[in-house]
Amino acid sequence: MSETRSSVYAEAVLAIARAEDALGAVPDELFRFAGALEGHDELREKLGDPHIPAALRQQIVQDLMGDRATKASVAVITMLVGAGRVGDIAKIAHEVAAAAASSRGEQIAEVRSAVALTDDQQARLAAALTARTQRPVTVRNIVDPAVLGGVVTTIGDAVLDGSVRTRLTQLRDAF
Amino acid sequence: MLSTIALLASEEGAHHPNGYWLPGDLKEVLWGTLAFVIVFGLLWWKAGPALKKAMAGRTERIGDHMSAAATQRTEAEAERDRIKAALADSDTEAARIVEDARQTADALHTELEARAEADAVALRERGVADIEAAQRQALANLTAEVSRLALGAAERVVHHNLDDASQQALIEQYISQVGAAN
Repeated sequence: MSETRSSVYAEAVLAIARAEDALGAVPDELFRFAGALEGHDELREKLGDPHIPAALRQQIVQDLMGDRATKASVAVITMLVGAGRVGDIAKIAHEVAAAAASSRGEQIAEVRSAVALTDDQQARLAAALTARTQRPVTVRNIVDPAVLGGVVTTIGDAVLDGSVRTRLTQLRDAF
Repeated sequence: MLSTIALLASEEGAHHPNGYWLPGDLKEVLWGTLAFVIVFGLLWWKAGPALKKAMAGRTERIGDHMSAAATQRTEAEAERDRIKAALADSDTEAARIVEDARQTADALHTELEARAEADAVALRERGVADIEAAQRQALANLTAEVSRLALGAAERVVHHNLDDASQQALIEQYISQVGAAN
């Protein structure tokens, strides 16, 4: 998907969220769905399989999300799956979250960790990042087993890498 | 002419009727002689210059031919001398050519030896360099393979030893570092 097309989809999602008065929930739920999708290859393949009827794939989304998300978020994700944009959901979610945060004067920090951060840890990390960047930061935690341990934070163009994976890679490169 | 007349007279013999060795009629002799002289004089006067001119021309041509022959002879002698000299020098020339050939062969031999030696040295150096490069490459490959295996082993060890407490400790350490960097 091109940059322009993902931006158009992100604007569409934001428009739906505004129309449904769910601008606070949709970006967060879409981001969490994207993170979950990234950690489940089989689910990603099923939802992106063009040989499976779109209605069936959308039904899978509705069954999975059920009451765990707002109707607006389910509608948005169902629309993206039906449009065959499963592979671009992460990018769209990131743009939506960034746009929503920007509209609130905040910035998004994508935090990848091998295990989920607790709410307290996310709050403390957000505070630390806010102090560091001098701008309010909203933390979006993605569970990524490839990190092995530690945390990798991407905020804007900056990457704060404290992952075990990177330490091992540095160790290998040192040979 | 008188000798001719006397000769004729002797052939006729001294048996002429008048008893002289000349013909009997002396007038006839005188007129004949006179006519002969006149004819001879006319011939000498008219044909003499042409005859002299022809003789002179012939003499001149003969002289020219003789001069040309002398020139050709001189040239032939010069050529003969030159050939003799050349023949005399041919042995020296042959010896010089042989010597030149020998020197050329020696120089070529020396050059080929030097080139072969240089080629051998270069080949030996290249072989040594190739071996060293192969050794370095093998060492690098081995190092990379060892590091890859070590990394894989380390990943497995880390993965098995990273329990929840360790994960939480790493996260807390990270948050502390981010906060401390401010």
